[in-house]
Amino acid sequence: MSLTDLMTMAKSNKELQEKILSQLWEVHPDECFQCMRCTSGCTSLKLLELKPHEITLLVNAGFIEELASSDIIWTCASCLKCRERCPQKASPYNTIMALRNLAVEREAKIPEKYMKAVAQILENGLMQQMQTVTSREMQPFSREKLGLPKLQYPDGKFKTVFMKVLGG
Amino acid sequence: MKVAVFWGCKILTAQYAYEMSVRQVFPHFDIELMDLKGASCCGGPVRSINTSAAMYLSARNLALSSQTGLSDLLVPCNECHFMLSEAKYRIDNDEQMHKKIQEQLREEGLKYSSSVKIWHVIDLLHDLVKLDAVKAMVKKPLEGLKFAVHPGCQIIRPSEIGRVDSAERPRKLDALVEALGAETLDYSEKLDCCGAALLYSHEDAALSLAGSKLKAVQGYDVDGFVDTCPYCHIMYDARQKEAAATVGGKFSLSVFYYTQLLGLALGIKQEKLGLHLNQSLDSEKFKVK
Repeated sequence: MSLTDLMTMAKSNKELQEKILSQLWEVHPDECFQCMRCTSGCTSLKLLELKPHEITLLVNAGFIEELASSDIIWTCASCLKCRERCPQKASPYNTIMALRNLAVEREAKIPEKYMKAVAQILENGLMQQMQTVTSREMQPFSREKLGLPKLQYPDGKFKTVFMKVLGG
Repeated sequence: MKVAVFWGCKILTAQYAYEMSVRQVFPHFDIELMDLKGASCCGGPVRSINTSAAMYLSARNLALSSQTGLSDLLVPCNECHFMLSEAKYRIDNDEQMHKKIQEQLREEGLKYSSSVKIWHVIDLLHDLVKLDAVKAMVKKPLEGLKFAVHPGCQIIRPSEIGRVDSAERPRKLDALVEALGAETLDYSEKLDCCGAALLYSHEDAALSLAGSKLKAVQGYDVDGFVDTCPYCHIMYDARQKEAAATVGGKFSLSVFYYTQLLGLALGIKQEKLGLHLNQSLDSEKFKVK
C-alpha cells in the first residue's frame, strides 16, 4: 500500500525509494528517529530553510520524486555537520547527494554551474580554466609570472574513460 | 622526506598564493614536494551529478599518487582532502567498490593501492613535523598579533573516515598559529561554514554565510583571520566586500593562508608567499607591499 500526501495527492514510490537506499553505503536513513540534531546544526537552516530531518522523513515515507524535483535538495552547503552528529548514521548529507544524482538522471532542472564544472573537467581534467589573477594593486599575474610550474593536464585517454564512467 | 602533492583545481587555476606559500615553507622542514603528473579534479563538484563518477576521480588521483612510489600525499584543499579521504575509506572497506574502481582504472593503465597516507597542511605540520620543530624554525615571531582561525568543515568531519582534527573542538590550527608567537581566539562562530559550496546554487546565501562570520570576527578585535582552504579563502578574502554587503557592513579584516603566516615567521620574502595577491590584507598594518 502506498501513502498519499493529502495536500498534493502525491503518492509514495517504493521503487525510487529502494533506488536511493541502494546508493547509500553505511548510511541508514531508515534508522532515523527524528531527534533533529541534524536540523538544529544545519548551516542552511536559517537562510534557506533546509531541514535535513524532514528530507530523511520524506525519503522514509517514499516521496522521492517530490524531493528530486524540489529546489530544497540544492540548498545543502556540504558542511557535513549532519553526517557527523547523527546518532543513527542516517547522514542526511549522503541522502541529499543521492537525491541530487537522481534529479540529474531524471533531467530535472538543476543549478547550471554543476554542469559547467563537469563540462570543463571533460575538456582538460580540471573544473575551471587557468586564470590570470590581479594583485591588490590591480596588477595582473599569471602562473608563469609568479614563477609557478607549468600545469600537467591529464592526457586524452582520461576523457574517454571519464565519459564512460559518467555514463554509468 | 619526499611527499607527493595533489593540489586540486582551485589552487592550481586561481589560488596561487596558497600554492606559492606551500611550495616555499615545506622545504624548510626537509619536506620535498612532488607534483602528480596528469592529476584531475577530485570529483567535488561532480558528486552532486554522479557520486560514482566523483569517486572514480578521487580514486584516479590516489592511483597517480601511489604510482610515484611515495607513501605520503599532501592535499592542501579541504574539499579535495574530504573527497580523497572518503573515496579511500570506501574503497578500502567495500570489496565490491574496490573491484569496480580497479576495473575502471585499468582502462587508463592505473591501479589503486591502499597504502597512500593522506595529509593536509595542518596535520602534516602539527603531527608529523611537530610544533617544537615549527617553533625552532621561527626567525621572525609574530608577537603581539592575535588571529581568529578558521579550520573549515571538510577536514574535520566526518570523523568516522579519519580526519585532520577534532570535529567539534579543533585546536591544531590554533596551536600552529601560536607556535609562530601569535595569539589565537576561542570564539563561538569558529565552526561556522564559509558557504562556498552554495556558490553553485545560492550565491547570495553563500556570501551571507561568509559575511555573518566575518562580522562576528571583526567584532572580536583581532589582527587577522587564518584559513587553510582555497574555497574558504575565496569567500573571506577575494569576496570579503560582497560578503560584507550582504550583512550591511564594511569590513577590514586581513585574511591569510596559514602557510603565508608561517612563511613570514620563517623569514621568507613576502613576494614569494603571494601576499600581494591577498585582496583583504591591510598593507600598512602588516608592513607588506
